[in-house]
Amino acid sequence: MFTRVLIANRGEIALRILRACKEMGIETVAVYSRADMGAKYLELADEAVCIGPPPPGESYLNIPHIISAAEITNVDAIHPGYGFLAEEDTFAEICEESNIVFIGPRSDVMRKLGNKTEARRIAKENKIAIIPGSDDVVEDEEQALELAHQVGYPVMVKAAAGGGGRGMRIAHNDISLKNMLALARSEAGAAFKNSAVYIEKVLERARHIEVQILADHHGNVIHLGERDCSIQRRFQKLIEETPSPGIDDDLREKIARAAVKLSRAVNYTNAGTVEFLVDQNANFYFIEMNTRLQVEHPVTEQVTGIDMVKEQLRIAAGEQMSLQQKRLEFRGVAIECRINAENPADEFRTSPGTVSEFVPPGGRGVRVDTHCYSGYEVKPFYDSMIAKLIVHQPTRPEALACLRRALGEFIIEGIHTTVPFYRDLIQHGSYVNGSFHLHFVEEFLESMT
Amino acid sequence: MDTVEKVRQLIAIMAEHDLAELEVEEPDLRVRIQKNVPPQYLPPGMNYAHLQPVPVGQGFRPALQPSTEAGQETVPGTREEKLLEIASPMVGTFYRSPSPGADPYVTIGSDVEPDTVVCIIEAMKVMNEIKSEVTGSIVEILVQDAEPIEFGQVLFLVEPEAE
Repeated sequence: MFTRVLIANRGEIALRILRACKEMGIETVAVYSRADMGAKYLELADEAVCIGPPPPGESYLNIPHIISAAEITNVDAIHPGYGFLAEEDTFAEICEESNIVFIGPRSDVMRKLGNKTEARRIAKENKIAIIPGSDDVVEDEEQALELAHQVGYPVMVKAAAGGGGRGMRIAHNDISLKNMLALARSEAGAAFKNSAVYIEKVLERARHIEVQILADHHGNVIHLGERDCSIQRRFQKLIEETPSPGIDDDLREKIARAAVKLSRAVNYTNAGTVEFLVDQNANFYFIEMNTRLQVEHPVTEQVTGIDMVKEQLRIAAGEQMSLQQKRLEFRGVAIECRINAENPADEFRTSPGTVSEFVPPGGRGVRVDTHCYSGYEVKPFYDSMIAKLIVHQPTRPEALACLRRALGEFIIEGIHTTVPFYRDLIQHGSYVNGSFHLHFVEEFLESMT
Repeated sequence: MDTVEKVRQLIAIMAEHDLAELEVEEPDLRVRIQKNVPPQYLPPGMNYAHLQPVPVGQGFRPALQPSTEAGQETVPGTREEKLLEIASPMVGTFYRSPSPGADPYVTIGSDVEPDTVVCIIEAMKVMNEIKSEVTGSIVEILVQDAEPIEFGQVLFLVEPEAE
């Protein structure tokens, strides 16, 4: 097992990884930008190295500074968390070259799956249905129009080097397709240094169902069940739950098997998530595979009793997975709300500032993953998520009751947060009976105006 | 005896026995005293790749508040008032000279201008020459040769040029 691990991330996920390491007796090195100076979670690490000024590009995305920090603190491995460099294959490669273990999949696998059109091709090759759309990147306007007519509007123009809900634009007709094509290309070029785009049909009222995968370096691949992440706003997940209330066991089994099949096909190792869309006729389609630990991993941890970060560390250290598919048990229902420093009454504008009072909920079945505390200053430089509220109960109605109770207890003063928004949203009939889909939040927000 | 008296005694012991470093731990006091020893150079012929970083006390602890940006004046204090700081723009290992055995780029009293190279910071096997960015003369060198350093760590204190 590793002696010392550097955590190349910040906030709640840095704390999450730190905790797992501590429990395993692994020494920890945290890194921080000047904006995160003074954050209390840093004091829990054995060492903390300042790696740059506030902007992510100069700190948390600064590969030389992070590798340098890893070298001067003599770590064996780096955990990238999620976001930042977690899916940057060049970073994984540099780690490999610097003799530092990257806690995640191999760089060549990341590269392959990071190219979304390549990933679609691999799925298709393995007889996994993909969303109708372009076979490869779209070369020109003419090709795009032809494709759109073939699969039918509305269509989504997506960045081939994108992922995580970024670099996506919907087009409803020929004119908007021409505009969205240009827009998506320039956004992709700016965000991912690659302006290649592809097209997918937009499935109406679909659900986002993703499967958690764990694979070791000894050929063992297992799935840890699915998560329903259909509660999204502008392609960003807000609430995730497991098991999905919208699919039956038969479909659940089929989707999980497809996810495992794809993972085996690319010789996947460590943690990953295969994402699918399920339409109203119970057909499922592959979207993409995320080669990292996901934000919503806690809901899977709650129902399986498995510590995903510890499993990642074990796998990366070369251990054979002790988990066996047939012995896995799934207990109860878990739901997670991402609490963001945003003002729901003002178009979810970010609300940085000092949290004058922070009192998280507690009690049976409540878990809060957060780096916040009373007096913490939320900076404007990074994403707005400040906490994850996870509930776990034996049944969905009990989980909803617990969630309602926990959200009611949550005190966050001094900044705006999405807590009040969730309090309202979870009362909605479609949420309560589990019949929601990807447009649910949009429709809910419209109904509120 | 009070703490200051204890420390005075420890310093005397160090001088008497020509010690470079002394660390004492008692139930209610822990003291570490280091003499300002000039850096030891390796014999010519050895390159930096073989030089191990000097362990820095207990390792990197998180700073509680930012020191000033490189080149700006310090917060008014006592003797530090109006001294300029040269802070590290990167993470790596600090070296005072271009190569082992060579003269250091600067010493106490050296005059510097913005483009004066004051040290090297090695990161990922690349030797980066660090420029002063300020004008004045070096009054204090806060880090040791081969010491690991983090972004923003203050390396030198500079007395600005008299008006």
